[in-house]
Order: sequence, then C-alpha cells, then structure tokens
Amino acid sequence: MPLRLLLAFVACTAASFAWAVPDVAKTAARIDELLAADHYGDAEPDGQSSQPEPLVDDATYLRRVSLDVIGKLPSPEQITQFALDPSADKRSKTVEKLLTNPHYGQNWSRYWRDVIYMRRSDERALFGQNATTAFLTQEFNKGTDWAEIARKFITAKGDISKNGECGIILAQMADPSNVTAEVSRIFMGVQIQCAQCHNHPFDRWKREQFHEMAAFFPRIAVRPSFQMGGRSFEVISLRRPVGKRSPADTEGAKLEHYMPDLENPEAEGTLMTPIFYATTQKLSLGASDEDRREKLAAWMTARGNHWFDKAFVNRMWGEMVGHGFQEPLDDLGPDRKPLAAKTFEFLSREFASSDYDHKWLVRVIAATKMYQRVSRPRHDTSDDQFAASCTQRLRGDQLFNALTSALGIDEAELERRRGGPKNALRAAANTPRGQINQTFGYDPSDRRDEIASSIPQALFLMNSPDINRAISARRGPLGQLLDKESDNEAVVLELYLRTLAREPKSSEVEKCLEHVRSTGNREAAFEDIQWALINSTEFLYRK
Amino acid sequence: MFLTHQTDVAVRHQHVVRRRDFLKVISTASLAAGTLDFSAGALGWRDVMALEATNLRKRGMACVLLWMQGGPSHFETFSPHSGDNRGETKAIGTSVSGIEISENFPIIAKQMDDLAIIRSMTSKEGAHPRATYLMHTGYLPTASVKYPTFGSFVAQQLGNAAHELPSFVRIGDGRQGGVNGAGILGVDYEPFVMQSASGLPRNVVPTTDIARYNRRLNLLEGLEAASEYPRGGGASDPEIADHQKLYRKASKMILSPSMTAFELEKEPQQVRDAYGQGPFAAGCLMARRLIESGVTFVEVQLNGWDTHADNFKECRRLCGQVDQPFATLIQDLKERGLYASTLVVWMGEFGRTPKINPRAGRDHYPKAFNVVLGGAGIQGGQVIGKTNGGAEVTDRPVTVPDLFQSFCKALKIDANHENLASNGRPIKIVDKGEAVKELFG
Repeated sequence: MPLRLLLAFVACTAASFAWAVPDVAKTAARIDELLAADHYGDAEPDGQSSQPEPLVDDATYLRRVSLDVIGKLPSPEQITQFALDPSADKRSKTVEKLLTNPHYGQNWSRYWRDVIYMRRSDERALFGQNATTAFLTQEFNKGTDWAEIARKFITAKGDISKNGECGIILAQMADPSNVTAEVSRIFMGVQIQCAQCHNHPFDRWKREQFHEMAAFFPRIAVRPSFQMGGRSFEVISLRRPVGKRSPADTEGAKLEHYMPDLENPEAEGTLMTPIFYATTQKLSLGASDEDRREKLAAWMTARGNHWFDKAFVNRMWGEMVGHGFQEPLDDLGPDRKPLAAKTFEFLSREFASSDYDHKWLVRVIAATKMYQRVSRPRHDTSDDQFAASCTQRLRGDQLFNALTSALGIDEAELERRRGGPKNALRAAANTPRGQINQTFGYDPSDRRDEIASSIPQALFLMNSPDINRAISARRGPLGQLLDKESDNEAVVLELYLRTLAREPKSSEVEKCLEHVRSTGNREAAFEDIQWALINSTEFLYRK
Repeated sequence: MFLTHQTDVAVRHQHVVRRRDFLKVISTASLAAGTLDFSAGALGWRDVMALEATNLRKRGMACVLLWMQGGPSHFETFSPHSGDNRGETKAIGTSVSGIEISENFPIIAKQMDDLAIIRSMTSKEGAHPRATYLMHTGYLPTASVKYPTFGSFVAQQLGNAAHELPSFVRIGDGRQGGVNGAGILGVDYEPFVMQSASGLPRNVVPTTDIARYNRRLNLLEGLEAASEYPRGGGASDPEIADHQKLYRKASKMILSPSMTAFELEKEPQQVRDAYGQGPFAAGCLMARRLIESGVTFVEVQLNGWDTHADNFKECRRLCGQVDQPFATLIQDLKERGLYASTLVVWMGEFGRTPKINPRAGRDHYPKAFNVVLGGAGIQGGQVIGKTNGGAEVTDRPVTVPDLFQSFCKALKIDANHENLASNGRPIKIVDKGEAVKELFG
C-alpha cells in the first residue's frame, strides 16, 4: 500500500474510532432530554404523576452505585471521603474508579451466572457454575465487548472446568431446542421458544422459524469427563450420529434438526435448514458444527441486529434504574411497546456504536439524572416508572457481601470453619455464600414484583448462628468498636455507616441511645442495635 | 364455647362420632399424656388436637405426598412383572384377594384394603426435570408461566392463613431448585423446606431468650418507624410494611406452641418404633405430626430411584425404607380419625423399562407406570387399569391431568379455579382431564 494511502487509512480509522465511541456526558444528557420529552415532559392533566423526583444525596448515591457496579457496600472511610470531596465531578470519578475495581467483573459475572444457571434443565450443570463465573469475571474486567462475549458462549467447546463459556450449552445439556431458546432469550431478548410447539397467537415468529434456528445446534453434545479435580463435563462437536447427546438425553443425537410432527410424535418430523429468524441468513444442510455456530454468532452480533444491542441495554438499564424499558427484562417482543421508546432506541444504537462496550454503558447510565433520582418502591411506580429510580432487592451475592462487610466477617475464614466445599456441585449449596444464594437468590430475569421475601429469609437473618456469632460484642468488630469508643453516639454512627452506609437521622440516634439506657447493658444493647440494622428493610434493598 | 366448637367439628366428621363417644372429650381433654392408641379406647387429648387441626383447614382436608424422586420402577413396587424380564423380584399376595404387589412391600401388602393402585398411568416425559415438573404441577414447564406445584395450590385452596405453621411443608432436599414452588401463587404458598426430619428446621430457634428476642423485634420496628427513609419511613412505605408483616409472621411461627410438631422426640418411643428407622421414616412421622397440628400439605421425599444399574438390589433397599413407615402412617392416620380427610399419594416422575439393561438396571419409562393413593374418600383395595406386562396401557389409561383431577376431587378442590399468571392469563388448577371415577367407588 502506498504510504499516502496508508496514512489516509490510519487517519480515517482513527477518526471513525473517535466518532464511534459516543461521549458519555453528552449521551447521558441526551437521554435525560429524551426521557423528559418522552415521558414526564407532557404534564399530566392532574399535574400529579409527571413530577420527577429530585437527585439523591451523596451517601445514597454512593451506596447505590457501589452495589450496582461492584456488588458491595462502600466502607465508612469511603463514605466519609466521598462526602468531604468538594469536586463537582466526584460522582463520575467514583464510577470510573469502581469500573477498574476487579469486583466489577466479579459482580456482573455472578449476575450472568444466575441468568444462565437459574434456568438450567439439569442439576448436573451446576458443575459449570464456578467456571462460568471465572470466565466472565476475567472478560468483564479485561473490557472484552459484549458481542465478543456472546460469540464465545455460542461457539464454546471444551472442558467446562477450563472453558466457562460452555455454560449456556451445559445448562441445557446440549439439547438443541433448549439451547436455541436460551441463546435467543439471553442475547436477543426474544422468547422464540413460545413458537416451539405452535404458532404463537401474539408473536410474529412461526413454529418453523424456531426449528430453523434450532437447526444451528444439532451437532453439539455434552460428555462427562474426568479432570484432575474429579468429575467434569465437556462440550464437543458431533461428526457422526452417535448414541446420546448428553447424560440427560433420552432420544439420541442426529446430525440435522427435525421439527416434530405434532400429529404423530413418533415420526421423524420435518428436516430443517438452519435459518436465523432475525435476519433470514441461512446455511445449507450438512454444514459442520463449527460453521453453524460461528455463522450464527457472527450474524447475531452483527451491527444491524438490533435485538442484540437492545437486549443488553434493557437488562443493564433495568438493573441500574430499577425498571426496564420492557419487562420481563428478557422479553422484548417482537410486537410489544416499550416504555420511553425513543430513549430505548437511542441508547441501544449508541451502545452498538460504542462497539458493545459494557463499561461505557454503565458510565452512561450512571451519569444520567434518571439514575440519580430518589427511588420509590416498585408498587408505587406503575404510572410513571421513569420519574424516579426504583428500589431493588439485593441479589444473594450482594446481600452476602453486605453482610460480611457490615459485620466484618471473613468469607475465607468462614469457609475454613465449615470445612470448605468438596466440589463445585456442593459449593453451590454448601458454602456460606452458596447458602445465602439459595435462601435469598432469585432469577434476575423474573419480574421483580414477583420476587417476594420468604419466612426462611427472615429466619436466617434473625436466628442464624453464624450471624449471631458475628454480632457478638464479646469479640469481633463490634467488641473492638465498643472497647475503642466510649461515646455511645459515635458507636451508633459507626454502626449505621457500616451497615446502611449512611449517617443515622437524629430520631434514629435518639431511639438507639434510649435503647442503650433502658437495656442497662451496653454490650447487649449494641448487639441488639446491630441485629436490628441487618434485619431492617433498608439493608435488604438498593434504594 | 369449647364444647360448641368441638361439636361443630364433630358434625362434619361423622366418622369420629360414629367410632367414639364424643362427650368423653370433656372429661378426658385434660389428660395430658398422649399415647398412640391403636385400640378403640377413650378419646385422648390427641384426638382433640386432631379435631382442632381439621378445623384449621378449609373443608378439613389435608394431603401427604410421598415423592419418590428418580422414577421408581413399577415392576419392583406395585406392578410386579409377569413377562420374561421379571428379574429376581417376586410377587406376593396382599390382604385383598386377587391383588399382588412386589415382595419388597410385605407390610404394605397387609394394608391393601386402604390403598388403590393405578397401574395405567401414562405420559410422554422421560427426562427427570420435565417429568418431575409435570407430576408436581400437572403442566409442562414453559418460560412464560410458572405453574404452582401440587402442595402450593392445595395450600392456597385449603390452607388457613391464620395458622401459625406454614400450610405447605416439604421434607427432603430433592434438588429441585426453583422449578417447583408456588410459581404464580406467590410467596405465601411456597413450600417451607426442611432438609431432613431428623432435627428442627433451620434457624427456628432464637439465639437469645424470648424476652430479649421480643426486645429486638420492638427495637427493629421502632427504628424503622424512626427512619425517614426514603420518603416518610415507617409503615407508609409499602416495602417496610411487607417486611414487618413477614417478620411478625416468622416470629409468630417460631414462638408458637405448634412448633412442637417439628420435634419428633416429643413422640412416644413406641410410636417412633412403629414408624421404623431412617430419614424417610422420620419424614412420615413428621408428616403425621404436622397434619395433626393443622398443616395442610406435607411432601416427604425419598431420592435414589433412578436405578439404571442394579435395579433389583436398589429397589429392595429403597422399598425397605418405604414399607414400614408408609404402612404405619396410614394406620396411624386411621387411628386418629384423620385418614378420611387426608389424601395420601405415593408416586414418582415415571416408571422404568420392561427390559433389563446390561447393568441389571431399568431405564426411564413414562409410557406406563403406577401411582398409589389412599384416604380422603379413595376406595381402597382396588387396582385401576391394565398393561401388557407393564409395557403398554391396554385398559383405562390415566393421564397426568386425570390424576390431578382426581386429587382435586378427593380434596374437594375446584379444579377449574383460575389463578392469574403475571401476563394476565388465567390458569386453571388443572387443565383438561377427568377424575378417575373408579377411585371414588
């Protein structure tokens, strides 16, 4: 290439790159404008519901953004520093700092672990949980874009213990129909499986289209394998039809996909050509497994496929603002109207322009006024979702992190005392974190108004021996605090900062001091206060 | 007052009045010591308790599900094989002439009069998760609607919200995750899960004395009322209001005298011996104690029925865990006057292949399998349906919806009752199917 041309090419690429990543502050400002116009801009006749809430104070903001970005509470030192920082851009600086924290990847990897494994069709898939979390943690922290992560999941192969991207295929034990449904749901927000058995009355997709999509996956299989650490599974490509597709298979593997005949389930059914329903791009029969999955992954993550950018934007917006443009978060249509349609459209296109940069998206959402508004409980928001942030129940992992930091519990120490997990499958249930996830965890794809608290949750927080050992004033952080600090008011302040990440109101201080007086036993009284704070509603929610 | 209340109950449950002199309630109610009274004798305090329990439930009905996770072989349980692939398990006669079951159930065989066997169950689901879901909900899993499990809709229909114990208790881990809980019915009808019946459920014992426990609860309410967070605080915040409601409910439960239902040690040794040893036996005894104290639905799980290898040995072992406790449970419920109002169901997610595989195992087989029912007006001592050697249903096929319609009929639940899914779709408790009328004589 002549030098002049090469330089022009480089300049051009650089320029288009500079153009390609939309400016965070400008994008955020534009979103607020669009929301205002789209939503609460036109005053309602009664003049009531259209008033947006004001922006939150610093402490609330810091707790909110810390839980959202890294899944943890800010420490009392961080809260104090943040409150004292006079700079005008301290909120965006904080987001930047949180995004370089390794817990960013960890937090969101656990989130997607739940998205994938909560819908597992076989318990044995739990062997893959830790590997998938490790894979995602690394990719998110490295800044690998979402399109690349999706391609890795769709084209995954190899032993699950080393290739966490096998998670989606493993969770469905390589069943072509279930993998199709999950890939479509997770990456495109399209519940194509509704068309698996019949033409859905409300949706555009036909039964054939579901099975044409399933024709991208007839050659995947899951085999048990043995690694150094013991039992494992691997995802392989089938080259010839051999026996079972997976340990859960009851039908046997074929190299092409057949749409079952509903009238005659015993018959072979109709041979299906792989066609991607969103773009109608297709492959011919006989294509190899690699070819099928690589093509599908490329087509699905290509710039023009807006299901792909929208699905991710709707999820991240839903998690951070508390209410998705569409709910459930993984059900976008095709023929359904989102809230604030123009905002949704705009943000999704800009996310694609950022080259599916998830950190960019977190920056933008966190920078909007929308994100920073005072929250309302979910049931209040039915007519005007985007006039306020919406409170969110902490996920199991967030709650575990909050408990350990509030009570000064060392997770590794706790695991050692329990004897540690024997294998990945047990770890899911038997570690202290696993137990909290089992009791408090929920499927993040479910509608949040359907996630309710349960009696075992209340019993855990009230009576669990681990928790009560941790709040003992005879040892541990509470005891040390009481030794060091003789001023009861200062102790109350510290406990509020540690547990609720804010200062107490004067009415709350009063109530606590009154409790210390009436109890007549300083240690016991503060144990009660610590107990009450971790059992409070506020502790369980991201406000 | 007390007398009227009891009489009221008695009128609705005539079997009690018929069997016993009801006026003795008054004179014997103060007898504190309870013994398992297998002979017809005086009405002890347990009978009074049982009467109160029935009154706690709507229509007085309750249900115990003995869930055999893994797919129990019909051949080695209630439908002995007659063909070439019989294997080593033999058939034995029962208390009902003409009915034979597997030799693995010698004690239950003596109680065949109280149980009905359906040998013509048929479905298409041969994978554990889907079949388990189907046999618990009556529906196949979909991504759009989370169907409620059997225990949850029974709790919704028959449970008493004012009762201090949960109306649905599940004993055993079952490893079923979220796939079959209350679904669209919501948290009030979620199963209260106990990993095993050998001890109390987790975290039900306060770590402090009761006075201090109450002090803490008061402090919590006081602080939540004092909080102005995020707007107004206190009970005007719907999340705080819900939270406090839950805490009151949980506290009421663990401080309730009914919690003794969870303590098997309170049971006389002779009763514990009658149920036998092992976790499943403990589960069955716990089930009776819970039903007696007013719980509506108890599911007791036994895992390990996925006998792809060593089917005969494994089935003998598993049946050995079931035989005595199952038989004692029925006997015990009868003695306490609870059997007529308690449906007892024994089932798993499918049956197993007529053919024996090279590892002496049997594989998944949903085409024909068996379910056993008793109590709640079910006419015992009969076999419903026929197969040709356990391979195909040749007479009176019973589908899963038919079975669920029968459960509803026995429990006096309207199977057409509609609950709303989150997408606004009305979902019937059971869709399609017809109750198996032979079950009701």
